[in-house]
Amino acid sequence: MKIIQTQNLTKIYNSDMVPVRALYNVSIDFEEREFTAIVGPSGSGKTTLLNMLGGLDKPTEGEIMIDGTDITSLKESKLIDFRLHNIGFVFQSYNLLPVLTAKENVSFIMLLQKVDSRVMDKRATDLLRQVGLEDKMDVRPSKLSGGQQQRVAVARALASKPRFILADEPTANLDTESAFNLLDIMARLNREENITLIFSTHDQRVIERARRVITLVDGAVASDEHFEREEVKEKA
Amino acid sequence: MLAVAIGLWGGLLALGIANGLVIERQRTTIEQHISHIQIHNPEYLKDDNIRNHIGNHRELMNTISSIPQVKGYSGRTMVSGMLATANLTTGIRIIGIDPRMENQTSGIASNTIEGSFFEDPGRNPILVGRTLADKIKVQERSRVVLTFQDSDNEIISAAFRVCGIFQTSNTTFDETNVYILQSDLVSYLDSITIVSEIAIILDNIDESEPVAGFLKKHFPELEIRTWAEVSPELSYLNEMFGVMITIILGIILLAMAFGLANTMLMSVYERIQEFGMLMAVGMNKKKIFSMILLETSFITFGGAAGGVLLGYISNRAIQNTGLNLAVVGGDSLDYMGFPSVIYPELDPSFFYTLTIMVVITVLVSAIFPALRALRLKPAEAVRHE
Repeated sequence: MKIIQTQNLTKIYNSDMVPVRALYNVSIDFEEREFTAIVGPSGSGKTTLLNMLGGLDKPTEGEIMIDGTDITSLKESKLIDFRLHNIGFVFQSYNLLPVLTAKENVSFIMLLQKVDSRVMDKRATDLLRQVGLEDKMDVRPSKLSGGQQQRVAVARALASKPRFILADEPTANLDTESAFNLLDIMARLNREENITLIFSTHDQRVIERARRVITLVDGAVASDEHFEREEVKEKA
Repeated sequence: MLAVAIGLWGGLLALGIANGLVIERQRTTIEQHISHIQIHNPEYLKDDNIRNHIGNHRELMNTISSIPQVKGYSGRTMVSGMLATANLTTGIRIIGIDPRMENQTSGIASNTIEGSFFEDPGRNPILVGRTLADKIKVQERSRVVLTFQDSDNEIISAAFRVCGIFQTSNTTFDETNVYILQSDLVSYLDSITIVSEIAIILDNIDESEPVAGFLKKHFPELEIRTWAEVSPELSYLNEMFGVMITIILGIILLAMAFGLANTMLMSVYERIQEFGMLMAVGMNKKKIFSMILLETSFITFGGAAGGVLLGYISNRAIQNTGLNLAVVGGDSLDYMGFPSVIYPELDPSFFYTLTIMVVITVLVSAIFPALRALRLKPAEAVRHE
């Protein structure tokens, strides 16, 4: 089932002065439960595409349908609410709230969703257990390693029960062991929990685990390759 | 938060002292000098000749004594004259009083710092002010000669002996006024008691207008004035100081608002990634605005509560002992009619005004940083270094 459909997506920055074309005529669909890596050299439009898919930026032209909703036509307030209930984000620099514990960082998304406090508590505990941080629930981000912080960020992204997770270079700041650890967890979540994952990355370790690799060059899709599930399983 | 607390504490202490100065001046001026209500023959105010006395003073004083709000009153006989000693001659106002009635009104007995307040009068006792005593070099039991005119404009001279020396908060008053017994003065002026002025002290300053109105209705031929009419500058000083307090507090809070806005703006700049993440994951603008407003409120109200508490405690502590400004200013305040010892005071209603002003400060200082945060683009903010 198609979860995301983009149609002739174009993004031009500084269109009034010196136009810079970041994306051009990108039309791609994403299926449910896919594990996709968007790759390409710096400036190829990976982050721009991810921002468009996440509703963080508006395209200059084209449309983005998520579960049948054209998010480019949504008003700001509706779009924020849409993101809250449908999209999970994992950022390169983790972006955890430093004054909150790991569990509170995971819970606060559910707080925004007005989830019942007991349900919220249980789900935050379960998610942190799934990412292997059951013993770090009451620890603040400053006391966690980079890999642990990124795992908390993954748990936070999952907390809102999103339709898909967008991860912008999630392993860029991690050492090899932490990166493998994080990828193991995300691959397992994708396989066992049917979580749809879309990564933008330079990281070969991520590319090797993805079941689909979209390569962007100069803002356009240069290739779109699919890999067999078994192959990925084996790699994982 | 500490800066807010210290700023408000300093402000409240300074305002408490300044307000105490004004209130103390009002209180002492009314109690020691002008009273809440003064009654004269209208002609007396144009020409203080002894002939311009209150004609029906007995009926008037009977009426005054029946008014429940009246705490004390005194009928005074007043003439201008000269006081002479072997050293010096000076112009003065001679006030003839009934000691018991006068003490109920102006409390002058408690201001008698040497000798006695007509307790052992002897013949022709006189009470002189400290400043005058120093100027003409007299002390208790010194003899002085008073010269004044009677109702027929005849010059009368009589010798008086200093029975005591008084000191009020107003050195000018102390230098230009002397008290003698009313019975002694009228014996030189006429065969019957003459009253030039009736001063009334009430239980409460707020009763001044109603009681004066009542007396005006019954004695329309007399000039009946409240303290605010007798000394308009005292009334203006109070009003002016009320406005000044608001202005000074406004300036303090404005400075505080700039400081807070700057702090919050720095906080927003330091947390651009955080705000970007919050907006990306679905926190709406209303919640982000509320969050910044709450943080500003926390800092401001926390600091304000501490500052107000410190200010209140400091004012109360000094209220018990008084702040003696004579240590640094000498008699300069006394010469201006202000008391040297200040008892800080702040009206409770002032704290309501303060609360409203602090709320406005919070809003003013939160709006700019909050707008700055709301203008952030989540896609750029999450990647901000």
